Amino acid sequence: MSGARRIAGRVLVRWETLLVVAIVGVGIWSVTLSPFFLKRANLLDLVTPYVFIGLMAFGLTFVVITGEIDISVASILAASIVCFAQIFAAGVNVWPAAIACLGIATALGLANGLLVGVLNLPSLAVTLGTMAAYSGLAFVVLSGEGVATFPSSFTKFGGGYLAGNELPVALLVMLGFAIALGVLLHRTRFGRYLFAIGSNREAARLSGIPVTRVRVTVFALSGLMAGIAGLVYVGYFGSARADAAQGSLLDIVTAVVLGGVGIFGGTGSMPGVLLALILVAEVRNGMQLANLSGQLQNIVIGALLLAAIIAGNLIGSAQEGGFQPGKLRRRRKGVTSDKRAEAKVLVDSNP
Amino acid sequence: MIARFRAMKPQELAAAAFRLRELGIVLALVGVVIFFGARATNFLTGSNWQDIAQNVSIVVVVAVGETMVILTRNIDLSVGSIVGLCGYLVAATLVHHPSIPVEVVALISIAIGLGLGVVNGLLVAVARIPAIIATLATLAIFRGIDAEITGGKNITAYQLPDRFLRLAASKPAGFPALAWIAVGVAVLGAAMLRWAPWARDFYAIGSNPDAARFAGIRAGRRVITAFALSGALAGLGGFLFASRFPTLDSFAANGFELTVITAVVIGGVNVFGGSGTILGVVLGAVLVATISDGFTLLRLSEFWKIFFNGLAIVVAVTIDALVTRRLQEALRRRRAGLLVAPGAGADA
Repeated sequence: MSGARRIAGRVLVRWETLLVVAIVGVGIWSVTLSPFFLKRANLLDLVTPYVFIGLMAFGLTFVVITGEIDISVASILAASIVCFAQIFAAGVNVWPAAIACLGIATALGLANGLLVGVLNLPSLAVTLGTMAAYSGLAFVVLSGEGVATFPSSFTKFGGGYLAGNELPVALLVMLGFAIALGVLLHRTRFGRYLFAIGSNREAARLSGIPVTRVRVTVFALSGLMAGIAGLVYVGYFGSARADAAQGSLLDIVTAVVLGGVGIFGGTGSMPGVLLALILVAEVRNGMQLANLSGQLQNIVIGALLLAAIIAGNLIGSAQEGGFQPGKLRRRRKGVTSDKRAEAKVLVDSNP
Repeated sequence: MIARFRAMKPQELAAAAFRLRELGIVLALVGVVIFFGARATNFLTGSNWQDIAQNVSIVVVVAVGETMVILTRNIDLSVGSIVGLCGYLVAATLVHHPSIPVEVVALISIAIGLGLGVVNGLLVAVARIPAIIATLATLAIFRGIDAEITGGKNITAYQLPDRFLRLAASKPAGFPALAWIAVGVAVLGAAMLRWAPWARDFYAIGSNPDAARFAGIRAGRRVITAFALSGALAGLGGFLFASRFPTLDSFAANGFELTVITAVVIGGVNVFGGSGTILGVVLGAVLVATISDGFTLLRLSEFWKIFFNGLAIVVAVTIDALVTRRLQEALRRRRAGLLVAPGAGADA
C-alpha cells in the first residue's frame, strides 16, 4: 500500500469521521420521519434530555481510559440528588445544598476509588456492589415520593433556555464540561497519566507515575460528574426521586464505547464521546419520532453498543494489517502486563 | 495452629483456606438465623423454612451457571433478563396450550435459555466483546424482547393449569420439589467442575488465559460452553420462577442477576476467575436468601435488601482479595524456601 493511500485510509477509518457520517445518516432518516426535525429549535433541543447522561459519560471516559469501569455512576446520581432534596427540604438554601450534593457524589466516587486504587480490588465487582448499595441508599433516604419545589433560579441550569427560548442552558453546560474535561484529558499531565496507566499500569508505576493517587482521583472525578449530572437532571425534570436515572447505564456505557474509548484502557478521546452522545440522542429522538416503545429503543441501543465494539475490533485489526477473525480465542482482560496494549501505546496513545 | 499451617503443603494450605471460607459463611448463617429468630416471630417456623428453601432453589440453579462463567474470568449480567423472558414464555405457552406436559415446557425453557447463552458466548469469544459490556447490552436486549412479547400485559396464576401450579407446592419426600431440582443441579455442577475435563478447563482459563491457551485448551469454545450453560440454567430458573411466582409481567426477575452474583461472590468464587466451589456458592445463596427473607419478615423495605446485597459484594470481594494476597505471599515464600514441586495450583 502506498503512503498516500494509507493516510487517506487512516482518515477514512478514523473513528470520529465515522461518527459524523453516522450522525448525518441518522439525521437524514429523521428528516424522512418528520419535517420538523431540521427546525433550529428542535436541533438545538435534541440533546437536552440526554445532557445528564453525557456528563456521566464524560466522567466514565476518564475511568475507562485508565483501564477500569464504573457502573455505579447512575446510582451515585440518584443517591446524591435525594440527599440534595432532603437537605433542601429541611430548609437549607438551594446553592449550599447543591454544593453538599456535589460533595456527597464525590465522596461516593472516592469510596469506589479507594476500594479499587488502594485495596486493588477489581473495579467491575466493586462498582457492581456499590451500584446496588448506592441505589438502595437512595431509596432509604427518600422512599417513594419526590421533592419538586426547587426555585427556578436553580432549575434553569437543567431546563432553562436562552436567546429567545431556543438555546438550552443545559447544552451550554454540557459543551462547557466537554471542553474543560477535554483539555484536562488531552492537554495536561494528569490526562497523559491516564493513558499511560490504561496502557500498562506496571510500566506507568515504574516510570514514576503516582498510579494509586491517579486511579483514586479518577473515580472521585467520575462521582463528581455524576453529582453535576444529578443537578442538571433535577433542573431538567424539576424533581428529585430515588429512581432517578435508573436504566440510563446502557446509554452512558454506549456513549463512551461508541465514542471510541477502548474498553481495555489506554485509548479514547473526549470529542469522540461527545459525538457519540449526540448520535445516541439523535437515534433515540428518531425512534421516538417513529413511535418505537422505550423497550424497543433499548434493544436498538444495546445492538448499537455491540456493533460499536465489533466495528472497533474490525478497524483495529484492519489497521494492524489484515483482518483476523476471533478464532475462538480469548483476549486478556488483565491490565498489568498486556503486551498488545504495551505495543499499542507506542503507536496510537492519543488519537 | 500457625505451626500446623507451616507444616502444610501448598495444596493443603489452599484447601484449608477454602474450608475456612466456607466455615465463615456457615458461621455468618448461624448468626443471621439467631438474629432474625430473636427479632421476627415467625422466622423459625416450618412454613418459613419452606419459603426460604424455594427461594434459595431458584437462586442456586441460576448461580451454578453464573459460577461457570465467573470461573472463566467473565461475567454474565443478562441472567435476570433470561429468567424473566423464559419465565414469561413458559407461562404464555401453558396459557395457550394447557395440554402440553410440564416437562416439555421446562425443556423448551432450557433450550431458549441455552440459545440466549450461546449468543452471549459468541459475542464474548468470537466477537471479542468484554463480557461486562456484551452482557450489559444483552441484558437490555433480552428484557426489551420480553417487553415486546408481553406487550404490557401480564399473566396471572388462575390462567395457568393446576398441574403447573402444584409443582412448586409439591413436596416429594417432605422436601419442596424446587429444592430437589436445585440439589440435583448443584450436585451435577459440582461433579462436572470436579471431574469433567472440559469443566476443569474453566479453572485453567480463569487462572491464566494465556497459559491455558498455550497448554492447548480451546479457550474460546470453553467460554461459549460456560455462557451456554449459564443461559440454559437461567432458562431452567425461569421455568422455576414461573411456577413459584405465577404472576408474570415484563418486569419479572428484574435485577435478579444481582442476587445471583451476590450469592456467587459471597460463596467465595474469585471475581478474577480461576477459583471457587459449588458448595461455597450454595452456602452463599442460602445466606443471601435467608437475609432477604428475614428482611421481609421484619417488614424492612425492599431497598434495604438491595443495599445489603451491594454491600455484601463489596465486603466479600475485599475479604477475598486480602486473604488471597496473604495466601499467595505465603505460598511464594514456601516455594522459595522449600523448592516445592511446581504445579501446585491456586484452584482448590
